[in-house]
Amino acid sequence: MKEVVMVPEKELKENLIRMHDRRIALLFILPAVVLFLVMAIYPFIYMIYTSFTNLNLSMSGTGQFIGLSNYFEIFHDPLAMGSITFSTMVLLIAVPIEMAIGVLFGLLIRGLKGERIFRLLFLISMMIPGIVFGISAQMIFNYLFGAANYFLSFFGVPEIAWFGHAATAQFVILFLDIIQWTPFIFLITYAGLLSVPQDLIDAARVDGASRWQLFINVELPTLKSFIYIALIIRLIDALKIFGKIYMTTWGGPGMATSSWSFYIYKVGVSYGWDIGYASALAIILLIVSAILVNLLIKVLNLGETLELKREG
Amino acid sequence: MRKYTILMVVSVLVGLFAMMTMASVSLSLITSPDNGPSLQWLAQEFEKQNPDIRINVSIVSWETLYPRLLADLRAKSGVYDIFTWDVMTAGSVHSGCLDLTKFFKEHSNIIPKNYDRNDLLPLAEKLGEWNGDLIGLPYYNNTMLFYYRKDLFNNPKYQKEFYDMFGRPLRVPTTWAEAVDVAKFFTKKYNSNSPTRFGIALMFPTTHTMFYMFPLFFGPYRRSPEGIREFGSVNITYGDYFTSDGKPAFANKYGLMALEDMKALMPYAPDPLGSDYGQTIEYFSQGMTAMCPQWTNPYMQFKSSPALQPYSEKIGIAPMPGRSVAGNWALGISKYIPLEKQIAAAKFILFATSKWATLHVLEKFGIAPIRESILDNPEAQKVIPWVKALPTIYQTETFRPRIPQEPQLESITDVYFSEMLAGKIPMTIESLKKLAQKWEKVLSSK
Amino acid sequence: MNRKTTRIVLKVIRYAAVTLILSVFLFPAYWIIITAFKPMSEWNTWPPHFWPYHPTLVNFAVKGILPFLRNSLVVSSSVAFISAAISLMAAYAISRYKIGGTALAGWFISMRMLPPITIAIPLYVIYVKVHLLNTWLGLILVYLIPAVAFGIWVMISFLNEVPRELDEAAYVDGATRIQTFRYVIFPLSISGVAAVIVLSFVQTWSAFLLATVLTSDSAAQTLPVYLGRFVTGYNIEWGPLAAAGLITMLPPIAIGLIFQRYLIRGLTFGAVKG
Repeated sequence: MKEVVMVPEKELKENLIRMHDRRIALLFILPAVVLFLVMAIYPFIYMIYTSFTNLNLSMSGTGQFIGLSNYFEIFHDPLAMGSITFSTMVLLIAVPIEMAIGVLFGLLIRGLKGERIFRLLFLISMMIPGIVFGISAQMIFNYLFGAANYFLSFFGVPEIAWFGHAATAQFVILFLDIIQWTPFIFLITYAGLLSVPQDLIDAARVDGASRWQLFINVELPTLKSFIYIALIIRLIDALKIFGKIYMTTWGGPGMATSSWSFYIYKVGVSYGWDIGYASALAIILLIVSAILVNLLIKVLNLGETLELKREG
Repeated sequence: MRKYTILMVVSVLVGLFAMMTMASVSLSLITSPDNGPSLQWLAQEFEKQNPDIRINVSIVSWETLYPRLLADLRAKSGVYDIFTWDVMTAGSVHSGCLDLTKFFKEHSNIIPKNYDRNDLLPLAEKLGEWNGDLIGLPYYNNTMLFYYRKDLFNNPKYQKEFYDMFGRPLRVPTTWAEAVDVAKFFTKKYNSNSPTRFGIALMFPTTHTMFYMFPLFFGPYRRSPEGIREFGSVNITYGDYFTSDGKPAFANKYGLMALEDMKALMPYAPDPLGSDYGQTIEYFSQGMTAMCPQWTNPYMQFKSSPALQPYSEKIGIAPMPGRSVAGNWALGISKYIPLEKQIAAAKFILFATSKWATLHVLEKFGIAPIRESILDNPEAQKVIPWVKALPTIYQTETFRPRIPQEPQLESITDVYFSEMLAGKIPMTIESLKKLAQKWEKVLSSK
Repeated sequence: MNRKTTRIVLKVIRYAAVTLILSVFLFPAYWIIITAFKPMSEWNTWPPHFWPYHPTLVNFAVKGILPFLRNSLVVSSSVAFISAAISLMAAYAISRYKIGGTALAGWFISMRMLPPITIAIPLYVIYVKVHLLNTWLGLILVYLIPAVAFGIWVMISFLNEVPRELDEAAYVDGATRIQTFRYVIFPLSISGVAAVIVLSFVQTWSAFLLATVLTSDSAAQTLPVYLGRFVTGYNIEWGPLAAAGLITMLPPIAIGLIFQRYLIRGLTFGAVKG
């Protein structure tokens, strides 16, 4: 009799607490939600609206509704197409190289004496603001006084006008991106490497596996999810490349090193203040990165990794 | 007791500080790097005479300043009280600039008695106007000069070698075609006896600099008798890029020839497409090139460069082989600041354009004078060698457009010209026509 | 014998490769450091000077850098502390109450990945209207977005490590939820809070694009914007510029290396624990 009464009472109490709790939880999450709504979603909606207008801050009497014209304009704009090309280059050339060197460096230093020092040194360039890299590159790749041409002179290579040719200017920007972001790949994949159970490695060693076999059969399977995470985060971030371009090539020569983000800046801020067209360009960028973010969320398998699913 | 003493002292100090800050007007002046040091110096001098006014000078590269200024004037936010503006941007900045004619009429008491408006060079003053309103006092009557290595051009050894090579005497080029031979002669790669690595330092980067450089080469065609016949005389509002009735004037054989002239010089220049002012100034001051088109005030840097000593024998200055381009700056005041600030700001710009200031910023910083009396001043002519040459250069210089759409036109054009010079877009009249179509579109979207 | 030689050779190759990679990767930073100590005559030389022949400190007497340093400190530390507070609260709600589930969590991730240029343009127009241009508050608000978004992730992964039994025990003892949060959760997650503070600070310190669009002078501009102003510079003073660059890069390097074990969680949304 006593027990029968106890159960509903306890349930009642728990339910009450839970209801109470959820309200508190909502209160707790409110600041974050308000912040995002006001600072990101509201601008986003405003941007969708401006992308259908000819709003231009440097000219009076603009801001009329012009339908989809801005979006059609993108396809007729060789400059926009040029920046798609360079952004794609960053994604398809810089990111894979970053992946390769990042993983390789982890494998190289694993077990070496001084591993911790190497790790520390390698992480430095990840902390340096992109703008500072830009200053450095302007000096290193200067045509007549730069260290890059000095090194090449040892190999009998005549001076290269780094910022004056499309291919070399692109190389400089990609090089800077690689220098800055390879350590990020390393940081994540190295953590993966450390998480490979030692007994698996020992067992493989006992079986006489070569280093390559050890990597392919033991380390890589564990590493895989780490590589995916690093890759996708990097891909999304690579779309944002801006400061290094701003500081060195200003997108030139021509449109050779103008990334999508930089082109939006040029249209929307520098010179033009053509907000309408810049908004349309930005919406395209947002769609691309949203697709990648969705992929990321799948790969991260959020529900599992962070125990987000409700019990029961 | 001690506590109270301390409290008293502190509150008196705070009170004093508050009074000081209340008593003074603090102005924010934003300017580009070429005007920066001289205005900083002038601000200091001005503060000595006007202790109640403080002026904070921020120096920002034009690439950053221009969009900032445009946006702030359009947004009416009044962040910048005083600013230097490129007179070629008159059309786009005028809406936010105080009309000085009206302002000086209403506040004539702030104009110093010895301030001589009639001494201002007429063209410089006219460039500070838009639609008949005076929206800025001329500050820097900048124009592009042709710097060359006097010692090399005067050297009999090189004169003889040049004669042997080209069958005519070595002299400072007066046309771009002539400049090509001279540049080749002074480039090591093509002449192993050359004393310099490169013939000429050129800046054709994908920035606003490109928009300045083209008129140096296009000007001679645009202003030739055929050019005038075909496109009409040059209208100061539209500049050399346009016909007299406001149509793009470069999408033809003349525009193409100008680009070809630019391209012909490129092999003799260190990284022309990747260099901007900073790099070319450095190349010439290190003695790496024999020639260099540059603004007036890099002269001060050349003069102090160890590689160019004695400077009076090494640095030569001549008019541009083609035509120069105007790079004038004016000092404007924001419409959107309180009257009290406007008055203080007006006092400063009157001070900065006075006879005294004009002479001193010329001698100290190489700021080309805006006053006739300074151009004629023998002392100034002695200190700065190019002063004498200026009047003739001003008569033949070219202009960029001053219409409101200038920013967009500039932005598109920099990229097109760079791609054409780099060979990514074919160098043809067709390509120029495509660019002109883009211009028409910008012009009609008003 | 033979195998031993191979092993030694392999090791030498590995050291050589590591040294090579490190020297390439550290070279740009090295160049900033040495230029900061070079006198004017050594900025542009051929051959380039690979160390300052006549080291000097004059470059560090950069006039006018102080307001920018102040702005950077104010904005970065405000973002660091505010974002830690907001994200601890939000993470608590998500970790303990599964508020919003995967959808909300995904939304927060997308906030972290948002390309800054896409909000820069509309925010500029909005800031003009609400007078937030060129203010600390304007910058702090906008940099809170990425900081809070990833802060939430770091905090969730830390909070998940705090055994749930602890807070259950607390409220069975009669503590309210707020009390539990204050006396149980907060002390136990303090290292997570530290991580968020540090990471937000570093991230905000280095950010450039939004600051360059939303500020206009020394009243609010941060150090990276100060550096960026010299683009297409007319007369580039490499020494002072490098000195300013050095000042800009030192704090994030120092802080990042000291707290590197938190770095990885922040960067991978808590999915990878370093």
